[in-house]
Amino acid sequence: MDQEVLAGVEKSDLAQIRDLDIDDVIDYVHADLKRLPDYLDLYRRYLRQRWDVYELDFSQDIRDWNTAMTQSERDAFVAISSGFHHGERQVEVELPVFMLGGSEESKIFMSSQIEDEARHTIFFDRFYREVVGLPGESVQEVLDASFHHVSETFVGPFGLLAYLADELRRDPEDPVSRVRYGTTYFLWIEGVLALSVMKITLTYCRNRGFLPGYYAGFTATCRDEARHVQFGMRFLRDSVAEDPRLLREIHETLRTILTINGATSRRIALESLGWSPEEVRRLMIRQLSMKLNDVGIALPPDLQQMVARIEPELAGG
Amino acid sequence: MIFFSTDWAEAVRGAVDAGPDDALRATKLETYWGWIDQARADYGESWALGRCKPDGHTDYLLLRWERGHCVAATVTATPSEATYVLSADAQTWHDLLAGEDTGRIVMYRRLRLERGEVLSFFRIIYFFVESVAAIGRVPATLDA
Repeated sequence: MDQEVLAGVEKSDLAQIRDLDIDDVIDYVHADLKRLPDYLDLYRRYLRQRWDVYELDFSQDIRDWNTAMTQSERDAFVAISSGFHHGERQVEVELPVFMLGGSEESKIFMSSQIEDEARHTIFFDRFYREVVGLPGESVQEVLDASFHHVSETFVGPFGLLAYLADELRRDPEDPVSRVRYGTTYFLWIEGVLALSVMKITLTYCRNRGFLPGYYAGFTATCRDEARHVQFGMRFLRDSVAEDPRLLREIHETLRTILTINGATSRRIALESLGWSPEEVRRLMIRQLSMKLNDVGIALPPDLQQMVARIEPELAGG
Repeated sequence: MIFFSTDWAEAVRGAVDAGPDDALRATKLETYWGWIDQARADYGESWALGRCKPDGHTDYLLLRWERGHCVAATVTATPSEATYVLSADAQTWHDLLAGEDTGRIVMYRRLRLERGEVLSFFRIIYFFVESVAAIGRVPATLDA
């Protein structure tokens, strides 16, 4: 990876971030996975990289949406983005319970991630309200208005996260509950689903030259995800190092996630955005494999076979 | 039928056992229903779905599955034999009967898992969600 490019990703402000290539930002997510910064390093990075969601200008996005994009492009874009809109809300409300346990350094970093997720929820609220034109006085009303775009299978990973959050709430320090939650959230939802949606929608925007406000905000969101994923992978790696029996919990959680990944209820016209289902499938497998390899989590043969059969699934948070 | 009555429970049993009709199946990809068919094929657990009442008591609809068929549905005050115990307040049940999306009810934790292994429970989640949606489509009178 080009260190100069990575430094550009690291230091760009919101005005500069629209010039970044999403592939470079995704490389940035993985750049530190082998080394894995500690939690306070990530917190310091948060303070440097925090951005103001209300500084985004959607005026060109509104013109692109209404006059340049085709109906099938808009339909596919909304179908994919709605999973993220609701995903951000879901992780924003489910994350505080994870902050109740762990080290003080972990809690401090978690406070920054909760703020990130709230900001990302507002990003989508603004996009849906101002660009897509969904009605709603409140954040909840805009969520309600976009919900019918959300696939039936969204409840798989995000319902699982909600129920694991309930399990964790009973004992926030329980290592098994924390690792199950961490595998679902940091590895799958953020590390695989979110990064895949980012790659698809941002590549579309960049290739077509559309939606500059969305591109800037979602690229900044992707850079935020780098900190979240690196926190999560460090948490999983350290958990297994401390108690190798927890590897079984990562495996069991992945078995559940990959079992429910096999269901697809709606066909999204990915081709409208320049992607085929097979390309999305390969992208998801690559996202998962890179993280598992980098933090040294090996999979037994049955899970390797399940990974090879991953179905395209588009949501995030 | 009165909600949480014996007659209603038997109607629910028939509805969840029958699964989706052709019209409903046509609204989602066949692969989705295929996944559900596979998940329920040998299913043999039981679910207790609780209704928390304003007086603090909870009654349960107990659904027992054997080899993919719902073989019994009873209303009981104790969910002792159920593999999975979940509960919701009266407003959630009201909303379910009014057509609220079942997946969203789960996602917003309005129907909470009180007992049972979370990972095992989620390995059949779409079968569960569609079954609860079928319960919501059984006509019932709430103010009994």
